[in-house]
Amino acid sequence: MAENNFRALESANKGKTYFLLAAMGALTWLVAYAALTYFGAGTTSTIVPIAVGFALIGVWGSYYGSDKLVLTMTGAKLITREDAPELFNVIEEVVIASGLPMPKVAIVEDSAPNAFATGRNPEHALIAFTTRILEVMDRDELQGVIAHEMSHVANRDTLVSAVAATTAGAIAILSDFLTRMMWFGGGRRDRDQNQNPLALVVSLAVLILAPIAAMLLKSAISRKREALADATAVSFTRNPAGLRKALEVLAADSTVVRQKSNAVAHIWIESPLDGKSVSKLFSTHPPIEERIATLRAMESLGPTSS
Amino acid sequence: MKYIVIGAIALLVLFVIAQYNRLVRLNITVDEAFAQIEVQLKRRADLIPNLVETVKGYAKHEQGTFDAVVAARAKATSASTVADVAAADGALTNALRGLLAVAEAYPDLKASANFLSLQEELSTTENKVSFARQFYNDNVRSLNTAVKTIPTSFFAGLAKVSAREFYEVENPTDRNVPNVKF
Repeated sequence: MAENNFRALESANKGKTYFLLAAMGALTWLVAYAALTYFGAGTTSTIVPIAVGFALIGVWGSYYGSDKLVLTMTGAKLITREDAPELFNVIEEVVIASGLPMPKVAIVEDSAPNAFATGRNPEHALIAFTTRILEVMDRDELQGVIAHEMSHVANRDTLVSAVAATTAGAIAILSDFLTRMMWFGGGRRDRDQNQNPLALVVSLAVLILAPIAAMLLKSAISRKREALADATAVSFTRNPAGLRKALEVLAADSTVVRQKSNAVAHIWIESPLDGKSVSKLFSTHPPIEERIATLRAMESLGPTSS
Repeated sequence: MKYIVIGAIALLVLFVIAQYNRLVRLNITVDEAFAQIEVQLKRRADLIPNLVETVKGYAKHEQGTFDAVVAARAKATSASTVADVAAADGALTNALRGLLAVAEAYPDLKASANFLSLQEELSTTENKVSFARQFYNDNVRSLNTAVKTIPTSFFAGLAKVSAREFYEVENPTDRNVPNVKF
């Protein structure tokens, strides 16, 4: 069997995620180094572990309990086979194609068509659908959406975004602490030592700009994971047209999910945040037209045999 | 120097264990994937008597189609090797397509609630069969690649793992449109 396009896309997106996660690590290191230059070893060795600790506790809690937490945050209700036998049939099909365990299934009462997946590992996975998406989509489209969500589970995207959120959070806390300390003049015990003023200015700039850079990296990682999930979805269903049509339905629909909480924006299949108010660099999803074009290109490769 | 040698040996042992386990895991996954195909084929076989009875209620004169389905089902339930199961599976899929095509000609049948729910069950089971098939073949490909490529190929004999057979639905008429008799 020839190398299929979705396999190439999958490995490309995985590679890009590793690169971005490495960049995130490098940024953390850079911030710590800037703090060291500006404040000296004493302050830095106290502050950095505190910031990382805070971020870890916050994010780890939400990662570990992600399935339950997201249920409360989005108002999703768990359902059983009897509530929606057809939906369960389609989910079971994708589950067999993916070789993953059966996830929990939930419904969100909402007039916007959308769906999401969460859970710390495939055994604790949860996929949820708005009532509207079940009304507007046919079997093929729904299969595409489910495959996209199961791909997030297969690719462990809850973990990836937790790692990204932890680093971005640590950097934000660190930068916040340190800039406050600067205004109050505290912590600079090494002030009397002769230091290169240029190094101080650069460190200051790094500390101020790092949180923005971390946000940009976090969004970029999220976009790559979405693109990866589209490619993995095709590896499950071998039917790019289903997901493509589903995305077209989502693109044509202008209603957005009512809760516009930034905290859970990244988990939906289509971004619930208004595209115009968020610049492309900060958005958690690749532009939907781009995703449709990629899937269309896969369709033109012709049917892939199993 | 002594520690370097010990370390190198430890790494080598870990490496061998990792390769061995990878092969065994792949082999087990292939077994599980094949079991999944059989589960879905069994489900489909269980649906057939009910479906045939329902269609018979509306379309008594299609005895030839019913016989074909029943014969294909009998063959599918008795097959055991990968190649036999695959061939019988392909034949049954075809016979069922013929049956559904017959149903197209009877509007009363198409509208009946019983038929609609059976049709939904049958189409989801068909999808499950084909996804189980795809999952099996993907895993066979990973296993066969591992068995034939370095370094895992060195340990295939040790782990008693060998290349497996693909599940290929060999049926010349598989791609043809089923005949519809009016």
